[in-house]
Amino acid sequence: MDNCLMVDNLYKAYGSLTVLDNWNLTISKGQRLVFLGPSGAGKTTFLRIISRLEEPSSGVINSFDQKIGFVFQEPRLIPWRSVKDNLLFVNQNGDYQDILARLRLTGFEDYLPSQLSGGMRQRVNLARALITRPDLLILDEAFSSLDLRIKASIMEDINQLWLENRFTIISVTHDLKEALCLADRIIILSGRPSHIINEIKVDLGQDRSFSSPDLLKLESQLIDIMCSTQPEV
Amino acid sequence: MKGLFKGLIGILIFIAIWQVLAMMINKSIIPAPAETIRLLMEFLFSSHILLAAWETAWKVFLALLLVMLIGMPAGLFLGLSDTFYDMFRPIIMLIQSVPVISWLSLVIFAWGIGWKGPVFIAFLSLLPISILTTVSGVRNLDKNLLEMARLYQVPGNRILKDIYLGSLLPFIAAILDVSIGQAWKVILVAEYLSGGSGLGVEILRMRMNIDFPGVWALTLIAVLLGIVTERLIKLGLRRLSNQWTIA
Repeated sequence: MDNCLMVDNLYKAYGSLTVLDNWNLTISKGQRLVFLGPSGAGKTTFLRIISRLEEPSSGVINSFDQKIGFVFQEPRLIPWRSVKDNLLFVNQNGDYQDILARLRLTGFEDYLPSQLSGGMRQRVNLARALITRPDLLILDEAFSSLDLRIKASIMEDINQLWLENRFTIISVTHDLKEALCLADRIIILSGRPSHIINEIKVDLGQDRSFSSPDLLKLESQLIDIMCSTQPEV
Repeated sequence: MKGLFKGLIGILIFIAIWQVLAMMINKSIIPAPAETIRLLMEFLFSSHILLAAWETAWKVFLALLLVMLIGMPAGLFLGLSDTFYDMFRPIIMLIQSVPVISWLSLVIFAWGIGWKGPVFIAFLSLLPISILTTVSGVRNLDKNLLEMARLYQVPGNRILKDIYLGSLLPFIAAILDVSIGQAWKVILVAEYLSGGSGLGVEILRMRMNIDFPGVWALTLIAVLLGIVTERLIKLGLRRLSNQWTIA
C-alpha cells in the first residue's frame, strides 16, 4: 500500500518546553488514524506540523505533496459570508451543491454562519474541507462540542464519504467512542513531552454505530489500556 | 416612532432655551429662533448661498475621499507591519497634534487663497484618525481566518476581499462616522480663515457686516448639510455592506 505520510524522528519544542519527542510513524493512503492522549500531549501541534502551519524543531515529515482538508476544532467560517461563499472561498470551482447535499445541508446555501446551529456550522466546516477533494482529511477535535446524536450522525457521514473516496483520515479526539467509530488504527500518546506508547488496530467492519456491541466491547478494552498507560493526575 | 417623538421633544427644548437666551442676551448677538429660521428659509432659495454650500460640500467630499483612499491603504500596510508602524507612528501623532491654524499659515503661503488649502487641511486633520482606526481594524482581525486561508492556499486578492475588507467594514464605518462632522467643521474654519469661496467665506462676510442672524442661519445650513451628508454616506455604506455580504 502507498504511503500517505512518513514521520521520522519528529521533535518539536517551544523554547525549553518539549512537546513532541521523537515521533516515528508511517501512515498508509486511505488509512483512518486516530490519536488519543492527554491534554497538552501535542496532538494539535502534530496536526499543525503535517499541515505546514508550523515547522518542526527537527525531524522529517514526508507528506507527498497532497491536498489537505482540515476540520478545525472551532468552525473558522467567515461570519459575513454565506455557507456557499465559505465553501467557494477555498475552492472556486468546487461542486458545493453536491457536498452540501452529502452533508444534509441543502437549502442552507445562503445562510450566514450565525444563522446556523453549532452542529450545522461544524458540518459546514467539514464541507469546506471536503470541497477541496482532499487526499488527507484532518480532524482536530472537530466534534468535541457537539452532542452525541449530532456527533454520531456526522461520524456516519464521514465514514460513508470515506467508503466512496478512500481519502486518508488523521483525527485527534478525547472521545473513545468517536475514536473507535472512525479509526483503523488508534495511536495512544503519553503526556508531555509526548511520544507514542501504544498502537491498537481497530477491526470493526462497517457497522460503527455508537451502540454497536463490538464497538462497546472494544471501548471497555480501550479504557483498560488507557488507564494502564496514562499517568494519574 | 418613539425615538422620533423623543428627538422632536429634544429639538423643541433646544428652541425654547434658544428663545430664552435670545430674550436675555442682546438680540443682535443671539437672534430669536423665528428670525433665524426666516432667514434660513430665505437662504435656502438664494442661488448665491446654495452655490456657496455646494462649494463647501464638494471640498468636504474630496477631503473625505482622499482620507479614505490614502488613509485606509496606509493603515492596512502599517497594521500588517509592526516595524513600519513603530517607524511612522511618531509622524502620525505629530500630524495629529499640529493645530489647524499652523497648517493654515503654511497653505496660504504655499497656495494662496483657493480650494486647495481647506481640502488639504481637512485631509491632514482626518488622515491620522483614518490610519490609526484602520490599524486597529487590522490588529483585531481574526487570525484563525487568516490561518485557514493560508492552509487552503487561497489567493491573496480573495483574502483581501473576503477577510480583510469584511473585517474592516465596521472600522470604515467608524472612520466615516467620526470624519464627516469633523470635515465640515475644518473646511468651514479653513474657508473662513483662508478665503476663497464657500459657506465659511459667507459666514465671514456676514460677520464683517455685523449680521449675526445671517451667521446663525448659515451655521444652521452647515449643520443641516452635515447631518444630511452623514445620513447619505451611512445609507450608502449600509447598502454596500449588504450587497457585499450576499455577493
